[in-house]
Amino acid sequence: MAIIELRNVTFRQPNGVVALDDVTLDVNEGEVLAIVGGNGAGKTTLLKHLNGLLKPSSGSVKVFGKETKEQSVAQLSRRIGLVFQNSDHQLFSETAESEVLFGLRNFGFSEDEAARRSSEVFSYFELDSLRLRAPLTLSGGEKKRLCIAAVTAWNPDVLVLDEPTVGQDYPSKGRILGTIGRLIDAKKTVIVVSHDLEFLWPLGARTVVMSKGKVLRDGDPQSIYADSSLLEGAGLRQPQLVTISKMFGNERSFRDVADAVEWMARR
Amino acid sequence: MAHLLAEGLRFRQQNTIIHRLDPRLKLLISIALFSVALLTADLFQLALAFCAIAVPAILAKSLRRLSRVMVVSLSFAALIFVINLVFGYGLIRSSVLTLRFLAIVASTSLFFVTTSPDELEYVMRWFHLPRDFVFAFVTAVRFVPVLMLDLTQIIDAQKSRGLELDKGGPVKRLRNMIPVLIPLIVNALVRSGELAEAMESRGYGAVKKPTSLYALRFASRDYAGLVVTAAAWAGVLLSFRVI
Repeated sequence: MAIIELRNVTFRQPNGVVALDDVTLDVNEGEVLAIVGGNGAGKTTLLKHLNGLLKPSSGSVKVFGKETKEQSVAQLSRRIGLVFQNSDHQLFSETAESEVLFGLRNFGFSEDEAARRSSEVFSYFELDSLRLRAPLTLSGGEKKRLCIAAVTAWNPDVLVLDEPTVGQDYPSKGRILGTIGRLIDAKKTVIVVSHDLEFLWPLGARTVVMSKGKVLRDGDPQSIYADSSLLEGAGLRQPQLVTISKMFGNERSFRDVADAVEWMARR
Repeated sequence: MAHLLAEGLRFRQQNTIIHRLDPRLKLLISIALFSVALLTADLFQLALAFCAIAVPAILAKSLRRLSRVMVVSLSFAALIFVINLVFGYGLIRSSVLTLRFLAIVASTSLFFVTTSPDELEYVMRWFHLPRDFVFAFVTAVRFVPVLMLDLTQIIDAQKSRGLELDKGGPVKRLRNMIPVLIPLIVNALVRSGELAEAMESRGYGAVKKPTSLYALRFASRDYAGLVVTAAAWAGVLLSFRVI
């Protein structure tokens, strides 16, 4: 069932630039969706339409059957949790714990319930040791996980992550991937926006390719990631595992290195 | 409101006769425009002087942006008018002071919307202002659009966490600004620290008198502009019987 429906959405910026051009897209309940594209493709603009930060110049955006134009950002954010690219734009509290409590209090949770949920997400995201640390002193990876935890705390129906891997080192990317994996296991609807296809590939998520405000392709990752000319046209680079699969003439792209080694051993 | 003001004052490269003028002449035009407003106390003349600012603004294709700045300035103008009225300056005198304020804002805005930060730096250095001061001032001007972008993104991020900036009474609204202002200030401080390190790494301060690739030089159009400005300025002041 589609919980988010975008129909012929066009968004024109105040300076006249068309950031979204006739975008039509459905997001189904419990699905993982990857939105990919180079810089300026319109990915973040699209995300901001989901929680009402931006309203379409024309077309319609429906979230759980209701037009976003008829709802406030706060109402929509209660159901669509958006984690922004830059963690430093969100963190301001004295401790990581109060950072998590901030959203819960804004959404009217009682102090007891907020404390319970806060403690739950700290242990869920394995952030317990950072609870009383000042958020601004955390590493980039810790900040990112704290931001995801802070949004997950109010249990939105959909979690939207904007470029979660920007500025993250390899171990941090692995932890973020693990975090997304746990949300998927919990049957959450997750939307990940990124240009880092190496990161997205293991998720095996339905993929939407965007360029210059338009949706170029919407489909399964195997066929999209195998189409190198499509990806290059969108300013993206094919994941190495997919390239290697093609070089070996394997029709099905390798899921991971272990899969590739196993296939080679069989040959 | 601050966002509108910063956006209105932001320099945009355009190919107009005003944009192409030497920045020193542009500064002189601005001074000439608001000096007329300062030298006359006649309400009608002041209104004329204020309207005259539209001429270079039209030539610079910046009238709409200047109008936006003026709309934002109107609340300050109203405040000046009311305070003067309350303190017994009378209707005419209060109107004169308010119009003077608007004329000063309009003419200085005209300078900023038509002068790039680079040109601003050349002008300040031409006046032999201390190099560190010039650098700090021009950097601050350059960073205004960046800070405004930061501000928009921080507001979006906090609104997405349920913060409702425009709800509640004045005290609550002020308190609501804390989650916006702290990240903004912290980001600005971090950025300024990084900029200082980057500048030092690129040799800033290595010599007392650094050379400059570009030197300001009057072209024939600047001389023509200077004559027109001087003639118009003298003509207006004579007709206003100010001199």
